[in-house]
Amino acid sequence: MRNPVMVGDRVYLRPLEVQDAEGIAGIDAVETDTFMWRGPMPSSPLGHEKWIAKLYEHLPPTEIVFAVCLKEADRFVGLVGVYGIDLVNRVGETGSFLGPAEVRGKGYGTEAKHLLLEYCFDHLHLHVLQSFVLETNTRSSAALAKQGYRHAGRIKWADVKNGRYVDGNVYDLMRHEWVAARAAWLQSRTAGLTSQ
Amino acid sequence: MRIVYLTGEHVYLRPLVIADKDSASAWHPGPFLMGAAQAEKVLKDEGAGAARRLALVRSQTDEIVGSVKLTSNDGFRRCWVTFHMAPSTIDCDALRAEALRLIVRWLRDQMEVMVVSVEVAGDEEETIAAAAELGMVLSARLREFVSRAACRVDRLTYQALNPRWEVKDA
Repeated sequence: MRNPVMVGDRVYLRPLEVQDAEGIAGIDAVETDTFMWRGPMPSSPLGHEKWIAKLYEHLPPTEIVFAVCLKEADRFVGLVGVYGIDLVNRVGETGSFLGPAEVRGKGYGTEAKHLLLEYCFDHLHLHVLQSFVLETNTRSSAALAKQGYRHAGRIKWADVKNGRYVDGNVYDLMRHEWVAARAAWLQSRTAGLTSQ
Repeated sequence: MRIVYLTGEHVYLRPLVIADKDSASAWHPGPFLMGAAQAEKVLKDEGAGAARRLALVRSQTDEIVGSVKLTSNDGFRRCWVTFHMAPSTIDCDALRAEALRLIVRWLRDQMEVMVVSVEVAGDEEETIAAAAELGMVLSARLREFVSRAACRVDRLTYQALNPRWEVKDA
């Protein structure tokens, strides 16, 4: 592991480095899912390099983005982050992105997200987190529900998808809800291991 | 020269100018301090940027009592309105409510903006009443999202949907 901050069983989070720019662009380039935004969008490592460098310019930071790495083979598989950090109101907005498609559906994203939430609630001491998902992205909505997020409303006409304007779902999460959701997740993992 | 955009009974809106660097606490958001030199840089940077921040000014005294930031990433088809009220302003809820009436009518009814969104703290009663009066809908409620001196309150998102936009299948 290189420069780990939050460490789980199979996944660890570390600060994003400029050298990760190529990895992010590589994931973008082979993206097959189209439910997240309007569709696949190729990206340049140069743009990511600039963005990553800027993450560390603002102190205290308004956004913190981690590289998600698999402990096995120390492989970079995406990002989790908290954006719009407001240390006065103690709030922020979470987001995550894992890829390529072959690493999804294996629980890495859930584990990474719980590590991020632990960082937000127990290290930054944030009080509430929000998350935003287009209504077409049902997979992310289901994942948020499992992580304890509650539906907080619908933002009308949030973006364009399939030739029409679609709404976005907004969620919020408090620490005690996350703690309960994490306990349920850990229990389900243990049960899964026992049944095998 | 005073460039006034919208005028209400007690407040008017105007673009920020370099001279406003001396009253940054009134228009710059957040509780942290900003001196004139830094404020001048912010004014120049923001002036060259895509978002627009307008000064919210008390008509009677020409004193800046806050600011409103208009953000759009699609050429003002959809627009987010963000208020900041000067910490020294006592009647900020009433002034913000009046400004919201001016801004929503301007953006929705004249500028043909499709949807105007604003975030309001749950205890800003006059602003909430103005949003309801304007026909804005409550789209989201984030629990305990705003910190107050001795408590926390929800943050509400109100949206003004322009009925002149027909949204297929929406």
